[in-house]
Order: sequence, then C-alpha cells, then structure tokens
Amino acid sequence: MRTNQITDEERLKAFKSVKKPEVIDKQKLGVRYHVEDFDVNDRPRGFLEAFAAILKHSNYRMVLEHFSRVSARCSHCAVACQVYQATGRREDIPCYRSELLLNVYRRHFTLGGLLKGRIASGDYLTDEKIREMAESFWNCTACRRCALECPMGIDHGLITHLGRYILSEIGIVPRALVVSTREQLEGPTRNTSAVPVPALKDTLEFLEDDMFEEKSVKISFPLDVQNADYVFFPAVSDFLMEAETLMGIAAVFRATGDKWTIGTGYYDGINYGLFYSDRILERVIKNIDVETKRLNGKSVLIGECGHASRSAKYFLPTFCCDKTASPVLNIIEYTYKAWKDGKIKIKPDVITEKVAYHDPCNLARQRWIINQPREMLKSFCKNYVEMTPSGENNICCGGGGGTVSIDEIRPYRTTVGGKLKADQIRKSGCEVLVAPCANCKKQLRELVEDQGINCQIVGLHDLIYKAIEFDVPQPADTEELSNGKGVAQKEGK
Amino acid sequence: MSSILEFARGPLFRLCFALMILGLARILFLDVWGAYKALRKAGDKKMPWKLILSRTWEWIFPLKRMKNNFHFYSLLSILFHVGLIIVPVFLFAHIQLWKISVGIFWPSLPFNWALILTVSTIVFAFLMLLGRIIIKPIKELSKGQDYLWLLLLLVPFTTGFICVNFSISPGTYQLLMLFHVLSADVIFLLIPFSKIAHCVLVPLSQIISGLAWKFPPRTDDDICTTLNKKGAPV
Repeated sequence: MRTNQITDEERLKAFKSVKKPEVIDKQKLGVRYHVEDFDVNDRPRGFLEAFAAILKHSNYRMVLEHFSRVSARCSHCAVACQVYQATGRREDIPCYRSELLLNVYRRHFTLGGLLKGRIASGDYLTDEKIREMAESFWNCTACRRCALECPMGIDHGLITHLGRYILSEIGIVPRALVVSTREQLEGPTRNTSAVPVPALKDTLEFLEDDMFEEKSVKISFPLDVQNADYVFFPAVSDFLMEAETLMGIAAVFRATGDKWTIGTGYYDGINYGLFYSDRILERVIKNIDVETKRLNGKSVLIGECGHASRSAKYFLPTFCCDKTASPVLNIIEYTYKAWKDGKIKIKPDVITEKVAYHDPCNLARQRWIINQPREMLKSFCKNYVEMTPSGENNICCGGGGGTVSIDEIRPYRTTVGGKLKADQIRKSGCEVLVAPCANCKKQLRELVEDQGINCQIVGLHDLIYKAIEFDVPQPADTEELSNGKGVAQKEGK
Repeated sequence: MSSILEFARGPLFRLCFALMILGLARILFLDVWGAYKALRKAGDKKMPWKLILSRTWEWIFPLKRMKNNFHFYSLLSILFHVGLIIVPVFLFAHIQLWKISVGIFWPSLPFNWALILTVSTIVFAFLMLLGRIIIKPIKELSKGQDYLWLLLLLVPFTTGFICVNFSISPGTYQLLMLFHVLSADVIFLLIPFSKIAHCVLVPLSQIISGLAWKFPPRTDDDICTTLNKKGAPV
C-alpha cells in the first residue's frame, strides 16, 4: 500500500494539544480543538436523543440503512485519503471513521441491534466512543475524495457530516466555528468576520480608488441596487484579506456592464452549517434568500469560495423548497461565460510566472467547475502547468470541512491534512498557485509558509484583474473618480 | 448420504434460494421505498442523474477508477468477482439442473473457460484472505465475517473443482458434493442478511448518496421542536 507518512517528529507536532489539562478534565473531552463549555452529564443519552431527532426529521435513516448493509470494509478509501496517507493510523481510514457512527446506528436504531443488545448487553454507546468520534470526525477535511473511491458507493463525507451534526447538538463543535456563526446569525454585524457596514463601505471605496489609479477607468462596487441581475455574496473575509480578488470581480462587471450589487443587509456567503449542522446551514441559507428578495435580485452570485458556492447552489433550492429559490451562480461561471461571449478582453500571456490551478473540493468533486478556470488561465498565463491528480480527483488543500478556521490545529493542517498537497505543489514547481476559494487560500498560504515552499497563492480573479483590458476611458470615468467619490460612498448616502 | 444430498440440492436448495430471492427483494424494496420517501420529503427534487449514472457505471465496470487510484486489494477483488459471478450462473452442470427441475436454460460456458475461472476464483479468494491478514488498513478494518465469507465462498468452488477434475471414489464424491451444495445453500440463505447484499444494492448506492444530500426543508424548526431548543442561542 502506498503511503506518504509523516515522521515521528512531525506527528508529535501535529497532534500536540494546546488545551489546558483542567479544561480537558472539566469537559471530559480530549480533543485538540477548543469547545465551549457544555453539559457533560449523560452524554451518550444526549447523543442518542439528538440522533433520534435527526433521523426523525431527515433522510439520513435511508442512507444509514443502505450504507450499513453494503459496507465491505475493503479499505480502498484509504488510498484516496490524504489524512490516512500522512498518518497511517487506523482512526483515519474513512471507512473506519464511518463505521464508528454506523455501529451506533446498527446497535441503537435497528431491530437486529436492539435484539442483540437484549441478548448480549454490550456494544452500547459510551462516553469513550463519543470521544473517539469527536476526535475522528474533526480530523477529516470533508473533501469527499474517499466517496469517489468507494466501490460500494458509500459517501464517507456524508457520514462525517452527520456525525458532526449529532455531536454539535450535544455541544461538541469547534468553538471557532460556533463563535463566527453566532456573530453571523445573532450578532450586530451579521457576518462571520464581524465586518460592520461602515467598514465595508470604506474598504470598497478604497478599492475603487485603487482600481481607478491602476486601470484609469471607473470600476465600482454598487451597494443596495434594487432589481440587480446579480446579488453578490463573497466569503466576507475577502473584504479584509482578498482585495485583488474583489477588484478582479468588479473589473469583470465593469467590462460586461451587467447590473450587480452587494446588499448591506447581508453580505456574507460563508456557511459553516455545511461543516457541522443542517440547522445552521438552513438558517444561513435563508439569510441569503431574504437579502436577495429584499433587493429583488434575479440571481445569487457567490464569490471565490468553494463551500459558500456549494452550500448556496445545492441548499438554497432545498431550504426554499425549490420553487421560490433564486438561481445560484459561482463567479467563475459568470466570468467564464462573459469571456466566452467576448465581453471581456484579456491580454494574452500577460502572466509569465509558472502558474498552476488548485481545484477547491466543493467546486470540483461534483464535476461542477473544473475546465472553465483552466481555459481562462491558459489564455493569459504563458507558463501554465497542471498538477496531478486534478479536477474531480483533486487533492484537498488540507483545510477543508471548516478545519481551516480552527487556528489551534494549524500544525495538524499543515503537517497532516496538507502534506499531500504540499508534495504536489513542490512537484509541479509552480510559482503561483491559483485557488479560487477563501478557505483554500488561507490554508495554502499557511501550508507553503510552514512547509517552506516558495509559491504565491492567489485567487483566479486576482490574475484576471492583472490581465483584463479596458477600452479608452470615458470622460465620466475620470471626472467622478478623480474627485475621490466612489460609487460605494454615493450608494451609501 | 445420497438421500441427504438429494434433500440438500432439492427442497433445501429451493427453500434457501427462495429465501434469498425474497430477502433480496425485501431489502431492494426497502431501499427503493426509502429513496422514494426521501425524494418526496426533499426540498429540492432535482437529481444529478448524469453524474449518478456515470459513477454507477464506473463502479460496475471499475477499470477506469482503478487506473485513477491503484489499490492491489481492489484489483484482486475485481478479478475474484469475475469468476464468482460467471461460474455459478453459466456452468453447464448448473444450467442442466435448472433445465431438469424448472425447464429453463441458457447458454453455458465452455468447459475450459469454466475451469480457468474456477481456479482463478479460488486463487484470488486465497489472496484476498491473505490480504485481509497482512495488508495493514484492510486488516485493521476487517471483522470476523469478512474472513468467514471468503472461507465460505471458497467451499463450493473448491469442492466443485475437485469433483469435476479429480478421480475420486463415489463416497468421497458424494461427501464433497454434499459440502458443495450445503455451502451454496448457506450462502444463499445468508446473502440478504449480510454485506453480500451489496450484490443487488450497489447499483443504487450513487442514487442513495445523491439523495442523501437532498435535505427536507424546515430542518431547523423540526429538530429544535423535538429537542426542545426553540429560541436557544447558536
């Protein structure tokens, strides 16, 4: 069996816990991520009650019935799992991880299991088993590469998703995700990065000025425009960290002339519900729907973010019952179509560095967005190289499934989760790696830093911004923006 | 001995075979019914059929997938399945039994092909057993039934092979044939209640996985009501 295991030294570093022993004792939970205090009494009962409630109000029973019947324990998934490839531990085999939950289901929710329990009272859910699940489910990056490789068609990513969902109902969920989600759903700023509207407006105005200086044309970020064709929801962290990505997107809209807007009522595409709770997933999705309807927008447009795109694309119709849901597009789809239609002009071969493309799992695993960015990149990157495997079979950045937001496990992410990706980047020899996903970008930057790889991580629209060409500026462009009046500022009156 | 053999390949065989068919039909029906109910409950009913069919096809004929991620044990498993499926169904002697008892028949395998496939199935079953014992992740995943199934499947192939290809006394022949038939009866009986149910369920796996992500609407409301968490903070 092929393995690329980490050294003992790396193992110690990756699995070192930063938690204080007294916290571990108090919470009776030895996981490496921080968890808010929760009721530790009779945890198995709580787990089973949550499991039962979820089975009652979902479609998971059908899935668990099927998966528990067909599971052949062949370990083919182990070949595909980058975490197992790095650790070589039994706990990290996707099938083993799934069996943790399937065993609880078989024992407590099937007739055979209940009878078996009556005859030989054993194998019941214990605190120890819950602890094992709490550790194992959050070691997974939820990239779902293993699901592709399971001959029985078991979606181990789904089982991990369900396991995390049940655990979250009894309070076992990384604090980093809960705190962000709380701000997004109940906080004053209504977004995961706590960016208030005035700060948003300042940022956009600043970017508009920057773009005018660089491109000599008026490129704006329209705010709260009614009846727009596209209501834009980036990962909100882009407003803080990915200025060039946003500028590239605004530049594309400047070139196409389509009507788009950012709503100040809600402007965060991030949805941590996809990583740990269907309830949270639904609540966040509904915020996107409400904002789009408030602005009477025609389509939901998600920025460069894999999980935000997948959660909107696949779950907006789910939670809005299909009929009333607005269509969802990822910005790459929009830009690609505009480029194909000849609406945007791109200077050929303007990027001379060696460039590679990283497929975000949430965009590529379902064969949704694979070739479009590559086609565009090849048109303006003189030295484009492909990483192998790629597309549907890509290797995860190592920070998927929400783990990138858990800062205390960074050594794990960059030593274990991202090991195969780091090897792949090294092998490709790329100087610039394009990752059109906020999560991937953060993880990959930490990965190249920790692994000592000389490679710049950028978004797709960062490069498009460099390559895009505009016709001669119109007089209106120069007048308005040379006076320092950004559209964002005007819209905000 | 001969009366036991007659019983094993007569009434007992028919009973086990019928139970297998009924058992498989039951779980197939439960799967399809579950999928139908899930689709009715789902908020979004659009299914990615093209992707589902493509992935189902890829795993029924898994050569392309093997190319993507080579796994020695899976290669053994694929080769093992070829003989395991073809030999019992297309062996001339088996078809003759169907012809005599029920009156139906179909083309059979040439003798040499049947021989090669039988030997290959025995060899690959042994190698898989060895794999389960020595390949680390498989060993770590394996349960008792995983070993027992391989041993059980070896019995009818080995006994059948000996009976057809070796000069043995009538008594030994009858004993081996009894093992051959009884092991087949046990296999048929256990199929619907074990992981071997995948023989009929696997073509549905991709549909089930696709459907699994089609959640019902009002999840938040329903779960909060049931768990008494209405109005609780995030």
